[in-house]
Amino acid sequence: MGLVLDATNHALFVYYLVCNMVYLVTLIVALKTSAAHQRRLESWRLKWINQSPLTPPITVLAPAHNEETSIRVAVRNLLQLDYPDLEVIVINDGSKDRTLAEMQDEFKLRPVRAVYVQEVESAQVRGFYRSAEDPRLLVVDKEAGGSKADAVNAGLNAATSPYVCVVDSDSVLERDALLRIMVPVMVDPDHVMGVGGIIRVLNGSEIENGHLKHVKLPRKSFEIIQVIEYLRAFLIGREGWAQGNMLMIISGAFGLFRTDLVRAIGGYRSKAIGEDFDMVARLHRHLREKGGEYKIQFVPDPVCWTEVPSDMRSLARQRARWQKGLLDVLWPNRDMLFRPRYGRIGSIALPYLWVFELFAPIIELGGIVTIIAAAWLGMLSQHFFFEFLLYGYAFATMISIGSVLQEEITYKRYNDWKDVAKLVSYCFLEHFPYRQLHMMWRLQGLYQYARGDVTWRPLKRQGLQSAQAR
Amino acid sequence: MGSIFDKLLKFGPSVLVVKAIIAAIAADFALVAAILVRRAYRTRYFHKRDERVFWMRQNWDDLISGKIPYETWRTKPFDRAIVEEIVLDAFEAAGPQESARLLAFLRQSGLIEKRVFEARNMRGWRRRRALVALGRTRAAEGVPALADGLRDKNQENRHAALRGLGRMGSPEAGTEILDWIAEVGLVVASLPVQNALINCCRERPQILIPYLQHSGGEVREVLARVMAEVATPSLESDLIGLSEDELPELRAAAARAMSSAQPYHAVDVLAELSKDKVWFVRLRAVVAMGKLHNELATPHILQGLCDSNRLVRMRAGEALVAQPGKMAPVFAQVAAMQDRYGLHAYLAALENAGARAKLEEELAHEKSLKKIEREELQQVLQSGKLPDPKPAGDAEETVEPVAR
Repeated sequence: MGLVLDATNHALFVYYLVCNMVYLVTLIVALKTSAAHQRRLESWRLKWINQSPLTPPITVLAPAHNEETSIRVAVRNLLQLDYPDLEVIVINDGSKDRTLAEMQDEFKLRPVRAVYVQEVESAQVRGFYRSAEDPRLLVVDKEAGGSKADAVNAGLNAATSPYVCVVDSDSVLERDALLRIMVPVMVDPDHVMGVGGIIRVLNGSEIENGHLKHVKLPRKSFEIIQVIEYLRAFLIGREGWAQGNMLMIISGAFGLFRTDLVRAIGGYRSKAIGEDFDMVARLHRHLREKGGEYKIQFVPDPVCWTEVPSDMRSLARQRARWQKGLLDVLWPNRDMLFRPRYGRIGSIALPYLWVFELFAPIIELGGIVTIIAAAWLGMLSQHFFFEFLLYGYAFATMISIGSVLQEEITYKRYNDWKDVAKLVSYCFLEHFPYRQLHMMWRLQGLYQYARGDVTWRPLKRQGLQSAQAR
Repeated sequence: MGSIFDKLLKFGPSVLVVKAIIAAIAADFALVAAILVRRAYRTRYFHKRDERVFWMRQNWDDLISGKIPYETWRTKPFDRAIVEEIVLDAFEAAGPQESARLLAFLRQSGLIEKRVFEARNMRGWRRRRALVALGRTRAAEGVPALADGLRDKNQENRHAALRGLGRMGSPEAGTEILDWIAEVGLVVASLPVQNALINCCRERPQILIPYLQHSGGEVREVLARVMAEVATPSLESDLIGLSEDELPELRAAAARAMSSAQPYHAVDVLAELSKDKVWFVRLRAVVAMGKLHNELATPHILQGLCDSNRLVRMRAGEALVAQPGKMAPVFAQVAAMQDRYGLHAYLAALENAGARAKLEEELAHEKSLKKIEREELQQVLQSGKLPDPKPAGDAEETVEPVAR
């Protein structure tokens, strides 16, 4: 028994060491990349992209399911984006509330015909509406397909631009977000197949006329912790991974893709739990199998502000769903692991996701169980345990503070000293008990997936209207 | 006195872990300190910057005219950066007179010389920044330095030089880019090259012709696309030549460019191109015919409505709706074609343009149609479905041709 516990402890130690090294490398790469990106931006003028006759048209796809509280603000925001050739398609995915009626009132919708060819699978379309006020807005009214993916597919069928930008209809894009997300495309349109922007937490901030007026931190502590999580995930994780062309996720709240490519792989997978992750994984597979050079990039300056769960129950559901989504994508793509044709995706990115993302809550739980078992058997070295705990705490805090520093030296969205002080404080506080709760939610997600429970449970949201009213 | 590690070792078995803890805690504090220092620096920097910008704005005319000696700010990098930024921003919005005044100031103050020097001698992002700034000045003496930048080993610097030359927007800058691609081929993506060339060749598109004639492959396609954007009626004969080229990209470019030619000549060429075997050539031809806004093109656009490609049908529908003249006879012809995809494309374009009410109104008063035909067309417009086909010739008797 002692030998088993000893071996387990050693294995866990190595696991944490490797995991931390990966985080550290990603942090360093991200800091370096960000600095380079800032320099690169100095030689770009977004206005020039806006003025160029060759700037490719974009269709923004915004699926909406029961979004009556957000839809007016969200669509107004999309129509006010700076971009020379824009089409906005809102897909009303069988909403049972006043989503369609709200849009009809606000944008003076009138029924129209559209050239709609069902190239990718989606539920039955009931009708099309175009705004009499702004003809760039097309609303696709369809039967509920049971997933965001199904709604996006309907929009994809109606899209007429060479690029589609998928956004959430409870999010707000910064005015120049599309121009910024197109920078990599404008530099190398032949190779850039998809670009992800950064998602930031909207809770606590104020919106005016569809645009963000004041950026503030939310009040609730677990909302602030989510701010840190998002900074860490985007400014360090995605920035770092994208540098090696190993970006495995472009957030469903804000991502740009080449339309022909998305259609070529059959659109979004309707049954996917994490349709955004699934899309990028399938793109990598498709492009690797096809051969040739390609890039899936991340740019940290086009910002999408989104509302995050503001109650524990919703947060738990969201995190469980993300974990289910992870497994739901990794399992069907297990054949990509360690096969040379999939290059670094199969040999680095996917194994990392399996070991350090999917199995992380199981391994964490295993660690807790062995510690309890060792303590019960009187085999626990208290000194070692506390040292290890202290090390883990200090290291994880370092990564979080690193993300705040990254934000501070580059994008500086939180201008108030108090907000920065709060963010730094929460870097120290997020580990207990939030992290343990997070582990439980992720385990719950895996358990639900194993039981075959893949139903989508709605999250409670305040809606953009409340941010508007604040 | 033992080291701190010796003391800590008394509390635990692992030297490695203790060292890791110390390192991690030190890193935590270092990062927090970096955030605080950065914040404090930024606050001070922006405060100082605001003050200087305010002072410079107040004394702007004296600065520009040289009443305040250039040396007072030129030797201070902080002030120089502010002055240059204000001038370059002003350039973007300035008229010809103001531009000339600003350019004279840039020359007299030596700012251009400084940027030329940086563009030639600096490396990395400093060179990039200088190249773009030089382009924004639109000073002719910057062209050689920018042309040098095109031959930089670093791809990003080459892009910056391209953007700079594109910003210059002069035929001289265009010639430098053309010489460069003739010399080395396409060593950057085509889109930035096209963007720069479009800006540079707008004034004198003729400079493209010799390069277009002597280049091949992808370079030729790129030049043709540029030609499509900048062509003027004076290039009509060259465009007709291009429309018969074996490369579909060139035929498509010719089609696009023909929208700026005289309708009498353009329609015939575009009508031919609208029957091309490559879909995007047909698409360009249909769109170009729509842009001509001439009734001569209507019968050919109608053919586009029956195209096998969805995009061609959509654009044909849009072009027909935007055509001048009456809509009812056109709609009658659309219905007479008995192509449900074509009808759908036309109706979609009609509704998207908000022109349905206008057509309904026209149909109600169209004298060239018999009552029964009018009702039938109204029915088609309401239902979006085609009537049963009639014996040949019947439709021709009732539908007035739109154009011959």
